[in-house]
Amino acid sequence: MAIVILLILPFFISDYIVSVLLNILMWIALTESWMILSGYTGYISLGHAAFFGVGAYIMALLWRKLPFFAIVPLGGLSSMFLAFAIGFPCLRIRGPYFVILTLGLSEFTKYLFINWEVNVSGTVGRILMGAPDLHIFYYSMLVIAGLGVAVASWIRSSRFGVGLRSIKEDEEAAESLGINTSVYKWLAFGISAFFPGLVGSVMALRWTYIDPYTVFNPIVSFQIIVIAFLGGVTEVEGPLLGAIVLTLISEVLWAKYPYYYMIILGVILIILVYFIPTGILEPLKGLIKSRVALKWRSS
Amino acid sequence: MAFLVGKNISKKFGGLTALHHIEFQIDSGEIVGLIGPNGAGKTTLFNVISGMYSPTSGEIYFEGNEITGLKPHLICRKGLTRTFQIVRPFFNMTVLENVMVGSFFGGAQIRSKAKAEEEALHILKFVGLQERIHLPAKGLTSADRKRLELAKSLATKPKMLLLDEVLAGLTPTEMSQAMALIEAIRRELGITILIVEHVMKAIIGLSDRIIVLHYGEKIAEGKAEEVAKNPTVIEAYLGEEIQV
Repeated sequence: MAIVILLILPFFISDYIVSVLLNILMWIALTESWMILSGYTGYISLGHAAFFGVGAYIMALLWRKLPFFAIVPLGGLSSMFLAFAIGFPCLRIRGPYFVILTLGLSEFTKYLFINWEVNVSGTVGRILMGAPDLHIFYYSMLVIAGLGVAVASWIRSSRFGVGLRSIKEDEEAAESLGINTSVYKWLAFGISAFFPGLVGSVMALRWTYIDPYTVFNPIVSFQIIVIAFLGGVTEVEGPLLGAIVLTLISEVLWAKYPYYYMIILGVILIILVYFIPTGILEPLKGLIKSRVALKWRSS
Repeated sequence: MAFLVGKNISKKFGGLTALHHIEFQIDSGEIVGLIGPNGAGKTTLFNVISGMYSPTSGEIYFEGNEITGLKPHLICRKGLTRTFQIVRPFFNMTVLENVMVGSFFGGAQIRSKAKAEEEALHILKFVGLQERIHLPAKGLTSADRKRLELAKSLATKPKMLLLDEVLAGLTPTEMSQAMALIEAIRRELGITILIVEHVMKAIIGLSDRIIVLHYGEKIAEGKAEEVAKNPTVIEAYLGEEIQV
């Protein structure tokens, strides 16, 4: 039902609303993919901006040489390969050190690209001409977000997901029950990097101009975490809810209070995280449950 | 052929020798107790056998194959599984999921979810947790957490279990239930057991044979009654005669 609505909706609403929806879908895709690594295994990544940026640059390099629908998967695969390449040494490091390392690697990648742009290609950024229709972006992102939700939810209940979640609970105990924790974390890292690559390559074309500062912006990584913790990090519905709530709040605030919007947003987030540290999904579920129970009892 | 053999095992942490030339041999179907005062090296020995530490020197053989220095998950898949002194349930997963981790990834390597669930249910029934399968593990009492710890390790289909103080902190009733369970594990499932325990009465009741460690060295080995009367052992335990 929801899928049908999302499919036909763009024909009935303004382009502004479509682009808001596009934004929501983008954050859903990014956060669901982040959850496959960080939500399930507990290895918090602050490096997803790097995968986003790599995807964006793949688009910038290949646009007009290959069709749009061929470049996007290549963007995803490139990010995945990058994750596989750096994954093994990174994932030996645990806890807060892993968080800092991912942030550092992401910044490192950004500066590699800055250097390359300045010294090799002799420019600071790239203009992408001839962007397709907004609806193409919308449907591409809908597919990516849908895929993200599907993969995250399939993994959660699979054998693989049970393994990942036990790593989050207690890595040594998981290992002593026969899980090859290194390989499992590595796979999760790669799968998790695939989606930001897809999203990045779509968004590069949507933005029409990119440079390393915008596509490797660490704010992307931070916002993923904000959404994840806002919604809840252990279930697939969490990022959905978080992305919708955060994007809508920021749109409304931005329209109404353009000067204070960041401040108000910050305060709202602090309040939410302070009072509902588990994310809003859990209390919401409880509320729905008690409503249903009440109805059932009174009937 | 001995089932689990340790040859000349030493483990040093910097200047500290935690294990000093330990030799042991455990036969198939035995329950062997491992005792010693605090800091004697019991848990270190478990960590070395289960692959969490690699020994500084020495070799370990399981069913005739060398397992020295193998990764813990590989040792587990060979049929040698440990429990932890402080129980380590996966708190935010259900009791059933906790045990399914063992059936999925242990020696059985079950791929299908339905099959893993069936196995896990079977084991939960065996340890007496069948009423609590859908509870998150953090909701269990400490006695039930110990049962869960056993269930998780049993789900890996071990040929041998290393039990690290599974009886500590239990009430007398819970303890006799747990001892009956351990005996049932050997009798009904045919699993060889090496057990570390501080509760002397329990370990003497359970074990066919006892190994005593003190400051990283093996100071005695033999039948429970003999070991309890061994003057070196008595001295190690602050000169008190052990109450049997």
